[in-house]
Amino acid sequence: MNVDLYVLHISLVNTFVKMNVIKLHCMRSLCRQLSTSCGVFSYKSAICLENIYPKSNLSITTATEVAVDPNCPNFSGFIPIDKLHITYSSSSGPGGQNVNMVNTKVDLRFHVASADWISKDIRDNILEQHKSRITKEGFLVFRSDKTRFQHLNLADALERLRALIRAVALPVMEVSPETEEKLRKRREKNARIRLVEKRARSLTKQQRNSPSVDF
Amino acid sequence: MSFSGKKGVDKAFAMLRTLPRVCLANVRRNPGTRIKPTRGRAQHGGDKHGAGNKGSGQRQNYMRLGYETGNNPFYLRFTYEPYYKGHHLRREYPPLSLLQLQKMIDTDRLDISQPLDLSVICNTGLYKIDPHHKHFGIQLTDEGANIFKAKVNIEVQWASEPVIAAIERNGGVITTAYFDVHSLWAIINPEGFFKKGEAIPRRMVPPQDAIEYYTNPVNRGYLADPEKISWERLVLAQKYGYQLPVLENDPDYAMLTQRKDPRQIFLGLEPGWVVNLRDRCILKPTDEQLKEFYRS
Repeated sequence: MNVDLYVLHISLVNTFVKMNVIKLHCMRSLCRQLSTSCGVFSYKSAICLENIYPKSNLSITTATEVAVDPNCPNFSGFIPIDKLHITYSSSSGPGGQNVNMVNTKVDLRFHVASADWISKDIRDNILEQHKSRITKEGFLVFRSDKTRFQHLNLADALERLRALIRAVALPVMEVSPETEEKLRKRREKNARIRLVEKRARSLTKQQRNSPSVDF
Repeated sequence: MSFSGKKGVDKAFAMLRTLPRVCLANVRRNPGTRIKPTRGRAQHGGDKHGAGNKGSGQRQNYMRLGYETGNNPFYLRFTYEPYYKGHHLRREYPPLSLLQLQKMIDTDRLDISQPLDLSVICNTGLYKIDPHHKHFGIQLTDEGANIFKAKVNIEVQWASEPVIAAIERNGGVITTAYFDVHSLWAIINPEGFFKKGEAIPRRMVPPQDAIEYYTNPVNRGYLADPEKISWERLVLAQKYGYQLPVLENDPDYAMLTQRKDPRQIFLGLEPGWVVNLRDRCILKPTDEQLKEFYRS
């Protein structure tokens, strides 16, 4: 491998010397080939990333795992896109030729009961809380034709899905008996005020009528 | 005296040989400079002499310019109009759409087997930057994000979220980098810069109002932590609903993750070097002080 690279380097240099007119793109490709193939070129200034971030591993990797969210321990927010069934169709509304020809509407669906990427209790909660939304076959459907672009509509549908799962996954807040009592008192007070106003209004309306003869 | 057959210098010499000497009788004023010798009487601008009837106009007792007969005049109503305040500090990034970029790649104007940056794109001749007009680089716009199919390693100066998503969706890498004005002149016309015989300068750090942008992993800034960028790649993939391509398994991983140093302008060339195009060599500094300066 190294021998081949060395030979490549020499042949490139020979052609470089023989050329009468140096074209810039040739020179740039030469520089880049030298830098990438020989691996000798390494310039590190005082503000290189190694100096700014000494503890980082400084490489772009593809993260596959998502850390657990402390606020919502049941659901991290990660959705595997390949487990969803996404189809595209043309949107409705005005737009002429563009709206007729371009498939910007996104239909995102998945079978809730067999979705193993959501934990069992969340799945059951979805089936219970959103049973009116789930189709007969057991699919939860999100349709979006909000924007003029397919990729933005897909983002919108995904966001709605994520918000739904998070709302279901969030632990229910336990209300203390003191707070419960406070809230009950507030509701009663509001009802009283409302009824007082209602009675006053009713009286006004009655007084506008002509008096009925009372025997 | 016919000068019809002759052209240019021949014509000039023939005229010089044959025409008479210049004197008062054969020169003329330029058109519009002759003042008419008539006085303003009768038909030559007489009677009211363009001043109208009575009033301040005829009596030459004019009000000052802007005076509105007592009410608060327009030119005094607004005490502060800061429309252009700081305009000399505002940076502009002329747009380049993803559609144009895809077209350039499809028509072989750009070679995607190598990293793309401002110099390569300016060299196509299809995109131009003028630092005199406070242009600071390429702004990649999202027009054509839905049809963008190329896998590139591109370095621009400004990019929005859907643009970053479009490039990363296809397995590419995008970086946003800052070039100060001196470095900008060098990178937009590298050949012209090398011909000056100046040493390649160090690229300067972004100014106060730009440093936040370029250190932010969300914008894929060149001064941001690559680990955080890796995380943001996943976040964006989740947001836009595409499967994040595994860069490490790509055979072009080395080319895709190739990056310039923050002080570097040209890939493969260090600050301090002088590129001699005529003798086809590179002159590097030998003095230790200089070397230390260019490495700082």
